[in-house]
Amino acid sequence: MTLTAQTLDQLQGEPGWLRERRESAFATFEKLPNPSKTDEEWRRTDVSRLDVGRFSKLEHLDGHKLILPSALPPGVILEPLREAAKNHPDLVQSRLFSLVHADRDRFAALHAAFFTGGTFLYVPDGVVIDQPIIGQHFSHEAGTSVLPHTLIVAGKNSRFDYLDEYIAEHDDEAGYRTGSTEIFVDEGATVGYVAVQKWGRDVWHFSDQRAELRKDATLRLFNVTLGGKFSKTRVEASLAGEGANAELKAIYFASGEQFFDFHTLQDHRVGNTRSDLLFKGALSGTARTVYAGLIRIEKHAARSDAYQANRNLVLSDHAKATSIPMLEIDNNDVRCTHGATVGPVDPEHLFYLRSRGIPEATAKRMLIQGFFGDVLDRIPFEHARKLVESELERRIG
Amino acid sequence: MASVPKLDVGVDYKEKYGFFFPEDYVFKAKRGLNEEIVKEISYMKGEPEWMTKFRLRSLEIFRKKPMPTWGADLSVIDFENIFYYLKPAEKQSASWDELPADIKATYDRLGVPEAERKFLAGVSAQYESEVVYHSLQEKLTKQGVIFLDTDSALREHPDLFKEYFGTVIPPADNKFSALNSAVWSGGSFIYVPKGVKVEIPLQAYFRINAENMGQFERTLIICDEDSYVHYIEGCTAPIYTTDSLHSAVVEIIVKKNARCRYTTIQNWSTNVYNLVTKRAMAYADATMEWVDGNLGSQITMKYPSVYLMEPGAKGDVLSIAFAGKGQHQDAGGKMIHVAPHTTSTITSKSISKAGGRTSYRGHVKIYPGANNCKSFVKCDALLLDDDSRSDTYPYNDVDAENVTLGHEATVSKVSDEQLFYLMSRGIPRAEAETMIVNGFIEPFTKELPLEYAVELNRLIQLEMEGSVG
Repeated sequence: MTLTAQTLDQLQGEPGWLRERRESAFATFEKLPNPSKTDEEWRRTDVSRLDVGRFSKLEHLDGHKLILPSALPPGVILEPLREAAKNHPDLVQSRLFSLVHADRDRFAALHAAFFTGGTFLYVPDGVVIDQPIIGQHFSHEAGTSVLPHTLIVAGKNSRFDYLDEYIAEHDDEAGYRTGSTEIFVDEGATVGYVAVQKWGRDVWHFSDQRAELRKDATLRLFNVTLGGKFSKTRVEASLAGEGANAELKAIYFASGEQFFDFHTLQDHRVGNTRSDLLFKGALSGTARTVYAGLIRIEKHAARSDAYQANRNLVLSDHAKATSIPMLEIDNNDVRCTHGATVGPVDPEHLFYLRSRGIPEATAKRMLIQGFFGDVLDRIPFEHARKLVESELERRIG
Repeated sequence: MASVPKLDVGVDYKEKYGFFFPEDYVFKAKRGLNEEIVKEISYMKGEPEWMTKFRLRSLEIFRKKPMPTWGADLSVIDFENIFYYLKPAEKQSASWDELPADIKATYDRLGVPEAERKFLAGVSAQYESEVVYHSLQEKLTKQGVIFLDTDSALREHPDLFKEYFGTVIPPADNKFSALNSAVWSGGSFIYVPKGVKVEIPLQAYFRINAENMGQFERTLIICDEDSYVHYIEGCTAPIYTTDSLHSAVVEIIVKKNARCRYTTIQNWSTNVYNLVTKRAMAYADATMEWVDGNLGSQITMKYPSVYLMEPGAKGDVLSIAFAGKGQHQDAGGKMIHVAPHTTSTITSKSISKAGGRTSYRGHVKIYPGANNCKSFVKCDALLLDDDSRSDTYPYNDVDAENVTLGHEATVSKVSDEQLFYLMSRGIPRAEAETMIVNGFIEPFTKELPLEYAVELNRLIQLEMEGSVG
């Protein structure tokens, strides 16, 4: 059995416009070839062994689990995305897949055609939510596709935090997983968004995250990538209004035979914008990671300030890290810095700790914790920070 | 101040280097590229059969390879409109006076003979396709140093030549190395014997005079164990309305414990496409240094690389690019760590002004098993106005253990704070700006022989006057 247009029939009760979009995305999926190695983005990312047809059973026809603050302020809409498409077409129709494009590649098209679970969150102008909202996306069985999509709309001067958790019920299940997010941050709004990917170790995971920031908007976006035998994540922020500020951070821990790929974009479309990116990862076993990021400062984006860093801690002899931090700067009145490092635990640091009587394994663990420490502090809210700390603890230990 | 004008960043290019003499050539091949032209070049040079075959095979490869789709836009190059071979003089001279008058006048105006007298151990001058002048200090000849144009080396040292030629950059490496392999002519051949240190630099000067000319020199340098050589190349051309193509291949072998430094001051006129493949193999404890200055040309795509083949090898690229109006400098460096315990650094400094575009493109690759390597890449870019553009594309692949790799880049304008500081000390704005630019490229100028450094600073100063702010 493969994924066919008939698979769409399972998705009952959707408005006509959504069905049409799904059909069009499916047509795109069928038309597009698998990315080839001559394509720069896929040169180091091998998908030749992926047969999506194997994972034709869709999970989550209805959704996900949401952990809500006890009471949401009036006007806030928080619904499964498919419900929201029906109930609030005025808010959803024009935005859905307008940032994350279905025709970008085969996997984006597949996601747009078959997305099931996922959340729609709308926070009206001026509304502040103190407690974080948590969306948990579970996978229950092997051989399936789990394709959640999150759409977040932050009204002017609103403020809130949101966490997407992607959780495998069984760590060894094989499957196809996505987790894409579109975030609209209107003028003056402040959004904290954290995605924690803990799928099983035998899944293929594709994620597209893209945010658009208006004037004086702030986004603190944090990714934690831990699961999957293959995980590809795109994180893109479009700074479209003066005073916009995007913080894009991530940590990843790749062990065993895991392969992680990250592509990031800091797109400064107007001036007086700021972006700060830090991706930190540790690799062990025969894990491989690829980081490729681009800062683009467009012609009239004067007085922009952009920072980009990728740091890799290589813990084993056979792990491999590739780091490609790129800049395209079209305006001179900017401050732009980037850096990348790949290296092992500093032997001098290790020596220092051991000379204080700390056993090697403990010392190493302390150094890994230290390595992640500064970026952990940047997780936008307490709940997510604790969650990530305990996940890391478990994996490093 | 030295009066040897070697460098320029465009101001009085036309007066200083942009002149040309009427064409009066011994032989000029027809426009375009086909088997006949390639055979003709080989026949004119009286080459052995293996070389003719090598050329024809390379032509096949050139035809099969697609144009690169990355980097600069090369679609405007019309391979059929180019002259692939121009022989300017009947024979090579060892004295400037024996050269045809207009060729001699060219080099006099460029100041090459004067430079030779002052501070060079050997000089090679290439005019169009052939090396027309050649000299080497007698002392070096006695020590066994070979410094010849590449065609003569093929005739006079066939075995040494065949052993190394095409081993570092095979024709199939890329489309332009295939093109060069098919139609190469001229260039330098250097062999430095074991233990010989050539203390004074050797220089080659490349000049294009004719319109729609393609210059395809081929350089091969072999530094035997414990030797040292510093080779400098300079290049200029007149300004025509149509484009010329310069596509060189430079192969260098640095053996155990030897050191080679290769300095380029590329100052082609802004109608030249400069697409060059430069690569060195560095063996045990050897050091290879590329000092690569790109000031001229319309488009340059050049990434000097070092293959670090044995433990202890060290590679160093110091690159400076200056892009003015209509120019795109796509330059950088590649460090390929094949062996463990090897180190490399790439330092890139680029300046863009008046709508120019500089791109740093680099690759650091650490192969499996090449453990305990260190590599550091630093790129700084200065944008002098908001019409200009700067890009950084560093590719870092680490496949080995215990490797330390770092990359850093900054892009900025002339900082207001630095300007304010200097101006508060009574320095006029224009002068302060020039000082900052000179300071920015200082890591580069301090690696140049003094005469070149002084000249470069002076020319940057000329270029900067009234140009910023």
